[in-house]
Amino acid sequence: MLHSMIEIHDVVKKYGDRVAVNQVSFCVQKGEIFGLLGPNGAGKTTTISILAALLLPDEGAVIIGGYDLMRETSQIKPLIGFVPQELALYPTLSAWDNLAFFGRIYGLRGTALKERIAAVLDLVGLRDRAKDAVRTFSGGMKRRLNIAAGLIHRPRILLLDEPTVGVDPQSRHFIFEHVEQLRSEGMTILYTTHYMEEAERLCDRVAIMDEGRILALDTTKALIGLLGGGVIYVRLAAETIETLLPAIRALPHVQAISAQDGRIKIETKDTHPALQELIELCISRDVSILSLEVLEPNLESVFLHLTGKRLRD
Amino acid sequence: MLRQILALTWKDLKIFFKDPGAVAAIFLQPFMFILIMSYALRGLFTPEEGQIRLLAVNQDRGAQATVILRQLDEMDAFEVETSWEGQPLTREMAEQLIIEEKRNLALVFPPDFSQVLEQDPAAEERRTTRILVIVDPTTSSQFIDPILGTLQGLIERRTYTALIPKGLDYLFEELAPQTPVEEREAIKAQAQESMSGGLLGGEGEGPLIAVERIAPAGMRVERYPDTFQQNVPGYTIYGIFWIVSLLASSVLREKREGTFRRLLVAPMSRAVMLAGKLVPYYIINLIQLAIMLGASSLLFGMSLGHSPVGLVAVSLAAAATATGLGVLVAALARTEAQIGGLTVLVLLTLSALGGCFVPRFVMPEWLRTVGLVTPHAWALDAYQDLLVRGYGLQEVLPKVGVLAVFAGVFFGVGVWRFRFE
Ligand SMILES: Nc1ncnc2c1ncn2[C@@H]1O[C@H](COP(=O)(O)OP(=O)(O)OP(=O)(O)O)[C@@H](O)[C@H]1O
Ligand SMILES: [Mg+2]
Repeated sequence: MLHSMIEIHDVVKKYGDRVAVNQVSFCVQKGEIFGLLGPNGAGKTTTISILAALLLPDEGAVIIGGYDLMRETSQIKPLIGFVPQELALYPTLSAWDNLAFFGRIYGLRGTALKERIAAVLDLVGLRDRAKDAVRTFSGGMKRRLNIAAGLIHRPRILLLDEPTVGVDPQSRHFIFEHVEQLRSEGMTILYTTHYMEEAERLCDRVAIMDEGRILALDTTKALIGLLGGGVIYVRLAAETIETLLPAIRALPHVQAISAQDGRIKIETKDTHPALQELIELCISRDVSILSLEVLEPNLESVFLHLTGKRLRD
Repeated sequence: MLRQILALTWKDLKIFFKDPGAVAAIFLQPFMFILIMSYALRGLFTPEEGQIRLLAVNQDRGAQATVILRQLDEMDAFEVETSWEGQPLTREMAEQLIIEEKRNLALVFPPDFSQVLEQDPAAEERRTTRILVIVDPTTSSQFIDPILGTLQGLIERRTYTALIPKGLDYLFEELAPQTPVEEREAIKAQAQESMSGGLLGGEGEGPLIAVERIAPAGMRVERYPDTFQQNVPGYTIYGIFWIVSLLASSVLREKREGTFRRLLVAPMSRAVMLAGKLVPYYIINLIQLAIMLGASSLLFGMSLGHSPVGLVAVSLAAAATATGLGVLVAALARTEAQIGGLTVLVLLTLSALGGCFVPRFVMPEWLRTVGLVTPHAWALDAYQDLLVRGYGLQEVLPKVGVLAVFAGVFFGVGVWRFRFE
């Protein structure tokens, strides 16, 4: 039986005239890692804030764990673990004291609290730093503790807002492992990021978001399949373009081409033979290649394909 | 809910006590001011040198009071006057002399003074009496306490010499004269016990002779505080309002660092969140007041007045006003700079207007009137009513009421304008 832990229907959120979230709908199943992938300002934090009941949507409906977010907030709150984008910790208190505080807020106490703190510290590998002030932690350690604080009360749903920003590859790997372990324990996870590698590696399904809208939503594989292949960008010596375009279009592995400001975009199902054919053509026509860029099929190129923009500069 | 408030309170207290800067600003700073300003200005209030002249009204029907008065008079420090312009002193005359500021202190020995001292220890009923010490309530305890100490010592001596022989007689009459050694030891121990019980009385008993300090009947107090009595309450009140800057920056930090957002996601009402901010800083304020007043009394011998209840009431109200203003500023301030610069400026101005640094009685009339818009002026006045003028709860209650109104308005507007994001 499929059971949606999170359902959001046609949600709209405006800040004044700016529409931060525009008609967004999606469902997240129990035990799923769901990715929200989008560039800065896409509306990821706004969406996650609505799910955490920090913001009220202007329109639409949100149902979490079967409860209506607007009317049954008090039933929903204990279900949710929230890891904000910023490091929301008390820097002068120790890791232990931070976790003890958030635990008490959720009603934990006594030995149950102590055991829980020890467990989450183990989970994020900070057991030996428990008594140190958070201020003395490295950026990656603070990130991990930030996650631990969202887990202290055993939430059934975890909302992670860009948990790996500013984290070195090793710590990031560590965080991925925690998140995967949590999924294996049946937790439902919503993960926002603007790193497409993270979404590809971690998420069961991904929603690609830009300017408040969801542009595509599917498994990573299906999204890449959407593109059907890779893209080649090439610049050739200027005066020769017009004569060359039909020849490029006629190459066997090229599906479609377009040119803008002297840059030719070649879409292909299979980048490697297409590249071979292109280079051979240029040599035979004695045309010099000014620049060449190959985009393998991945979420980055899907995003580029959908928006004409890059995720990152 | 209460647990959540406790958790929030505990957390903020922990953060506060781990911050040496904040602890110094709150506890050390007012103290340094008091020390420096009091010693710097000490010359303005030099106590008179030479013999201290005491008025004595002797109503004793026996001889014991006369002995004590003679012993007092024989001491170098004191000169005892039992008559004024040829007339034996009466209590009314003595009170009048104190009101006219001709003398500072009068002792009134009761008619049954000798009788109490010489009473039969075997008697069923234990009789007690008291010596009244009439003082101008503005007199500093630095002046009065040594006098009272000396007097108490003399009375105690009289008590022993009058009571102990009688006590021993009584004991030996009760018991056989041929008492074995160990029983005699027991008798001695018993005698010692009654000796140490002399003035203080045994357990659960009051002293035979109590020394009670009162003000002359109907005296209107317009006297001014000395340096410590001005500076201790003044800088204490200045000090408790530092909580404003502390509370406001703590709120701003929680907003900036996102910990408030985390709390908003938790199952907790906003009222609890607010209470969790209020309680710890209120507690810090109260600790501050207890330390300042307690230490001033211990270190500088400053009198805390005669009304502990009044002191508690004024302290609770003053702390509520300071914490309330903290909530208001936390609601209005948008940046750290506003709290660092603007708030401190406002606090200094309010303190100055309220008379915390320079007593309001030296200010021109119009400035004194302006000062009444500050809670500082009311709090300071209330404290001085208790510490300097020797008033009680009844007299300071209206000022406590004004402080409560200040606190209510600050807190009300603060809560109304408060933003958690
Ligand atoms: N408090 C606010 N007031 C006004 N506009 C806001 C506010 N918060 C966000 N916005 C706007 O809403 C849009 C979406 O912002 P949001 O923070 O949700 O993006 P995001 O996807 O999380 O971006 P990032 O990757 O930078 O975190 C942006 O255009 C932003 O400027
Ligand atoms: Mg964001």
